[in-house]
Amino acid sequence: MFLTRRHVTGLLLSALAPLPTLAAPAHPRDAVAGQVLQTWYRLVLELVRHTATYSPPVAARAFACLGLTAWEVLAGLAPAARKSLAGQVTALTPPPAPDTAEGADPAAALHGALTVAIKHYFGNTGPTGQRAMRAMETRLAELAGEGLPPDTLTRSLEHGRDVALHIIAWARDDGGETIENMGFPLEWSLTDGPAHWVPTSKIVQQQAPLLPSWASNRPMAMARADACGLAAPPAYSEEPGSPFHIEAVEVYETVRNLTPEQKIIARFWSDDPMLSPTPPGHWISILLEIADRDALPVDRLADALARLGIAISDAFIACWQTKYQYDLLRPVTYIRRVIDKDWEPLLITPPFPEYPSGHSSQSGAAAAVLTAIFGENFAFDDATHEDDGLPVRSFSSFAAAADEAAVSRLYGGIHFRSAIERGLEQGACVGAAVNRLVTFQ
Amino acid sequence: MMRLSLSLLLAATPALAENPAVPVFVPDTGGLTHSFTGEWEYMVGGGVAAFDCSGDAQPDLFLAGGTAPATLWRNDSIDGLAFHKIDSGAELTGVTGAWPLDFDSDGQTDLAVMRQGENVLLRGLGACRFERANEAWGFDGGQAWSTAFAATWEAGQSLPTLAVGNYIDPGEEAFPWGSCTDNWLHRPEGTRYGAPIALSPSFCALSILFTDWNRSGRPALRVSNDREYYKGGQEQLWHLDPGQPPRLYTEGEGWQRLRIWGMGIASHDLNMDGLPEYFLTSMADNKLQALKNPGDSPLLPRYDDVAFARGVHAQRPYMGGDIHPSTAWHPQFEDVNNDGRTDLFIAKGNVSAMPDFAQQDPNNLLLQRADGTFYEAGEAAGVASMLQARGGAVVDLNGDGWLDLVVVNRNGPTEIWRNTGLAPEAAPANWIALDPRQPAPNLHAVNGWVEVRANGVTQRREILVGGGHGSGQLAPQHFGLGAATEAEVRMIWPDGAADDWQRLTAGQVWRLPRGAAAEPATTPQE
Repeated sequence: MFLTRRHVTGLLLSALAPLPTLAAPAHPRDAVAGQVLQTWYRLVLELVRHTATYSPPVAARAFACLGLTAWEVLAGLAPAARKSLAGQVTALTPPPAPDTAEGADPAAALHGALTVAIKHYFGNTGPTGQRAMRAMETRLAELAGEGLPPDTLTRSLEHGRDVALHIIAWARDDGGETIENMGFPLEWSLTDGPAHWVPTSKIVQQQAPLLPSWASNRPMAMARADACGLAAPPAYSEEPGSPFHIEAVEVYETVRNLTPEQKIIARFWSDDPMLSPTPPGHWISILLEIADRDALPVDRLADALARLGIAISDAFIACWQTKYQYDLLRPVTYIRRVIDKDWEPLLITPPFPEYPSGHSSQSGAAAAVLTAIFGENFAFDDATHEDDGLPVRSFSSFAAAADEAAVSRLYGGIHFRSAIERGLEQGACVGAAVNRLVTFQ
Repeated sequence: MMRLSLSLLLAATPALAENPAVPVFVPDTGGLTHSFTGEWEYMVGGGVAAFDCSGDAQPDLFLAGGTAPATLWRNDSIDGLAFHKIDSGAELTGVTGAWPLDFDSDGQTDLAVMRQGENVLLRGLGACRFERANEAWGFDGGQAWSTAFAATWEAGQSLPTLAVGNYIDPGEEAFPWGSCTDNWLHRPEGTRYGAPIALSPSFCALSILFTDWNRSGRPALRVSNDREYYKGGQEQLWHLDPGQPPRLYTEGEGWQRLRIWGMGIASHDLNMDGLPEYFLTSMADNKLQALKNPGDSPLLPRYDDVAFARGVHAQRPYMGGDIHPSTAWHPQFEDVNNDGRTDLFIAKGNVSAMPDFAQQDPNNLLLQRADGTFYEAGEAAGVASMLQARGGAVVDLNGDGWLDLVVVNRNGPTEIWRNTGLAPEAAPANWIALDPRQPAPNLHAVNGWVEVRANGVTQRREILVGGGHGSGQLAPQHFGLGAATEAEVRMIWPDGAADDWQRLTAGQVWRLPRGAAAEPATTPQE
């Protein structure tokens, strides 16, 4: 299926139908549970940055699995108010239920679940990450277990562990479990013809493109990988005045005439793997900041983490399906070939085909989901990169942030306009699929 | 051609000139037994200092021990290698690396010892005995996780200016990222050091080097940083102007942002244009930086990465079947086959248990071809160890003119290979080694340049104290000469004064006194 602008507008409007903002009746330990959830996630953002296999698609999948884990733990503790995503998310069966007669503590259960899940998804992180996980487990065990009777603590930890193992088992055969050679195939054949992707860096691994089979992964909320497919980009041409050439000239001129503000925007959304929490982590960071600012109840945070994780994970599957369908070259290749052999983009060009923009697709999906949860014109500050010396940016809405994330790729010189605009549309389509999931009842 | 195979693409680079002759290295520890030990707190470091402290002109070895005491081994080699452990007064624990230098210009080599904890300057007493000199020289050793060291002499100073590279805060267990401790600059004030100056911002340095990158006569400080731990960081180059606070080169001055897992710096004028190139070790691809526009005036510190083109990216193991990317530590440029073209040694080894990086990661010995590309000879030469290497030294241990190899391994035995030279049928491979000396201060002419003309080319080396990974050498500057049986030699001293060229015969070590004729240096066999 190909999306048209009218089609996407319809999807966006349907996504804006207000979702219930209910939460289950408050549990006295919800605040502690929220603290446990937020603190583990803060560590996850660092682990994403410091684990070599965590390219953006891989990070998105982990965020989806972790969000699902947290949600299913809490759903199991209040089934009357919270609806499991089993039966809604593809191939997910109901996780083990807690012993309802005895009950389980939400903080301890979340801690039990996240300890198991994070160790699993980041089992390949380096010695510093392993040390940090051990330290965090110890630190949060004290918080989560404080004042609990020993049998309640044990029962809660076990419930969390069982849910985590259930999600791990579900995800194991989705196609994204094992990442070899950091996602770069050892053998790769370039597509013949000037329109197609060729390596843009001198790094050996990156002579092959990243994760070319990622679109064969099982989507979570989308029906199929091509459910949000896109029409072809402008036809390749080196003819001045052709649509393709015009887009290339726009990238070239934009980068040559960048304003200080545009440079900041490009770097703010650059979100390079191994140097940041990646684009998926950037949106998770935004959500965590909002949760902290607004003291979001733990079940609403878990719901949002699950939806956002699923949305960005599916967005990368959709995006990668389109990328390898068209296998388009990057601006740096075209511009050096046709316009200026010495041209340099501002940002590092990612090592995979151009169309559409991955950041645009996943930001479009993230904005659709977060708008559905929090509403339109929901203003927030984004301090994701404050530690890296980049200023806090303020946005009037999630859509405004997604638009800026998308256009940042033009400023950075790594995407043509079509990839940006159509990427946002693709993301909106993915977000609409996620917004059909029901969590509160 | 319909489709291009990646493997063919990679095989096509670099150009295939005739491969150089491979020297034969044989394992020969000479009785030296030592390990750099420790877990997380010692995942980096593990260096060796090679220098003569016994007065016999043979390099002795001081080895960092991590949790174990550092050890000092007197070199008693004659042909085969022989080392004897001695009580030196330098048996400190927590040592990550060490660099030799005659700080006080008394003719006895001293040691800068970097540690997990307080750094210590050790004053050489002769006969390989040392005493702590922090208090005497006013040196504040701090209490950081120090991993890198460099020294230079600023004009008019009797003591060298020191730079200490610091790593992360080990107390930050759950969130260590972004906890980089400030590097320190120690400038002398008279005959003692003043309070350390924080080189802020600091980004978890693992190698640091004063180098005259633009031949201005005023070395700058290059810092290679580990991106695993910094936030907002990058590689750095600091101005060090007389009487001024250190100041970073900026984008406006041409400095370009580069973010790598910087672990070691090696410098050499590879293309013989009078300007140094820099090799930076990292994880996966390593970098070889050559100035983009070496003809510009003034020069801008803008570099191209030519590692891929010249075949020194050394991205993954070349043998053993492990397909994961490599982890590179100590790099050193030296001519190990004496063909007149500088080669490159790289110590390799997994950080600890990083499954996405090679566990079986052999050291590289990259021999330079005539066309400037490099040929991997680690396996053929016999130095392809799979232990977790860290520091190293490529240095002539037995005075036979063939550079030997010391590699310090983490939680494994230190390895030493004796270079037995080329096969008898190989082309002639002569050498010369030069030991410049000038009056105090800076007896060893740090940041001066040695030049050697032979075979129609001029080889140059800057005399450096710093760089590498945890390791430094204070030894005669070695040059391969190929078929040449003599060479023209001159010294450009750190103040810019150049001695006259003089013709010297190959096959021996020459002392180069400032402003005077060269003298044969005492060789170990004598």
